[in-house]
Amino acid sequence: MSLVADGLVVRINDLVVEADGRVLLRLPRLQIAACERVAIVGANGAGKSTLLRVLGGFVRPARGEVDVLGRRLNTLDRAGWRGLRRETGQLLQGLHLVPRLSARENVLIGALARPGLPAWRSWTRCFPPALVAEAETALDALGLADMRHLRADRLSGGERQKVGLARLQLQRPRLVLADEPTAALDPAATAQACAALRLSAAGATLLTVVHQPSLLPLLADRVIGLDAGRMAFDCPLAAVDAALLDALYASPVRPAPSVATGAAPADASASAGGHRNDHDEPGLAARRLAAG
Amino acid sequence: MQPALTVPLSPAARGRLGFLALAGVYGALVLACVVTLAAAGDLSMGRNPWDNLLKSLADFSRPSFLDVWFGPTRLEYRGDDGVLLRVENRREVEATFLWALVRATWTTFQIATLGSLLAAVLALPLALLAARNLHAPRLLAGAARGVLDVARAVHTLVFGLVLVGIVGLGPTAGILAIALHSMGSYGKLFAESIESLDRAAIDAVRATGASPPQVFFNAVWPSVLPQFVGNHLYVWEYNIRDSTILGLIGAGGLGLLVSEAVSLFQWSRLATLLLVIVALVMGFDALSRRIREALR
Repeated sequence: MSLVADGLVVRINDLVVEADGRVLLRLPRLQIAACERVAIVGANGAGKSTLLRVLGGFVRPARGEVDVLGRRLNTLDRAGWRGLRRETGQLLQGLHLVPRLSARENVLIGALARPGLPAWRSWTRCFPPALVAEAETALDALGLADMRHLRADRLSGGERQKVGLARLQLQRPRLVLADEPTAALDPAATAQACAALRLSAAGATLLTVVHQPSLLPLLADRVIGLDAGRMAFDCPLAAVDAALLDALYASPVRPAPSVATGAAPADASASAGGHRNDHDEPGLAARRLAAG
Repeated sequence: MQPALTVPLSPAARGRLGFLALAGVYGALVLACVVTLAAAGDLSMGRNPWDNLLKSLADFSRPSFLDVWFGPTRLEYRGDDGVLLRVENRREVEATFLWALVRATWTTFQIATLGSLLAAVLALPLALLAARNLHAPRLLAGAARGVLDVARAVHTLVFGLVLVGIVGLGPTAGILAIALHSMGSYGKLFAESIESLDRAAIDAVRATGASPPQVFFNAVWPSVLPQFVGNHLYVWEYNIRDSTILGLIGAGGLGLLVSEAVSLFQWSRLATLLLVIVALVMGFDALSRRIREALR
């Protein structure tokens, strides 16, 4: 594996991701520096989750160079991947809890790869008291103190998501990849979750897929807009306004360019009649954001 | 590609006609069975079924174990000419039988327990090969599935008969027979447990940078262990039931006493035996069900 020491946490060159002959994502260049907080926005199917899955190692790109935390992904061996995963906290859609373990045991899974944890403790799930206390503090902060002994398959969707956040906290990652971390949460829980996410990403780099524009100021100082697998914009939070987001979400859904031709995308600002994102009314929320 | 129909039929009507045709075939089969049996004269109920039924019920209603406390201490057997042939203390005789019954019950339990354990040990590697989500080499997976299917298809009694010929009379044959038949059941259940593993949960644990043994002990083991224990109890319970008749073919245990009692028309002893069998099976069923429910 090759180590690249330039302070960049993510460096992408000429990335192409395909599935079934369709281009899911095409990014000529993307760089994210240490401790940046980046939000990724875009309509459903724009490639946001795909980008996170590439960085997390769950999707293998068809082409391109991807460096994460100074490691080039396609050159990693098993130990290299383990080392990278230890430093990368992932909160991806479809990454579940272990159903038969309690909420607390699921949180402690985040600490499995910590150096200094004896192997027998990690195999028998007899964690040292200090670690257990840490897990309970994390659950407490998310309002799950009473549920620490409940099994994960007895928790609601929102509670599971919070347990995932607490697990992330115990992992102490250098890079956090979060895909819609508040998707199943009510407004109060959303605020708690954002706080937890910021806490676990303190001193780390945070990459979040965000669907609610109102959350952008909480989770990001840089916003990347994706549209049909391509980058629509990449700008600081201050430059994001209602018009920009409206244009991104309102652009009509069109077939992704085929691999062979790599047809140029239509103008991102093409308006009207497109499918809107169903999580939120982006225009309204963005206007609220601009006003606040 | 449909055969030309003179009357066009809706799919629903065709489905109903198909069901009626199947029901007709089934009715014809039942009728054929009854008619051929009657033609061979095998449908009789014997010469005096009611008397026999009442006599058997009378014998059954006084299970032999009661004699241990209430039986005559001095039962005299006399010949037709009134000569005293033999004097029997019924209480002692039945106490001896009761003790033999306890030992036979223990043998039955031994056969079921050790047979089930051996079956589980034999089935585990085959289940690992047969589970579709582990992607074993196709040839090996097919062979493992074949072995498991054959083991499940052959009845325990058939295995028992063959094994009595090989290893001789006694519980060893019973243990091996149970093991061979149950191996098939275990293999299927284990493979299903492995196939139902939550892949995403395993990925989530791996995504924290956990090592393979950590992933196994924190994601695979907790999901699979309760299912394996549940399967084991289920098959064990089934085998307790199964091993009570294994003695009929000489493989030891309660079945041996059953066949003895039946051959000597000792219905009161058979009643005692059935009571013990029912108590054993129901008791173990209840216990195993409780544990399996707690594991859910």
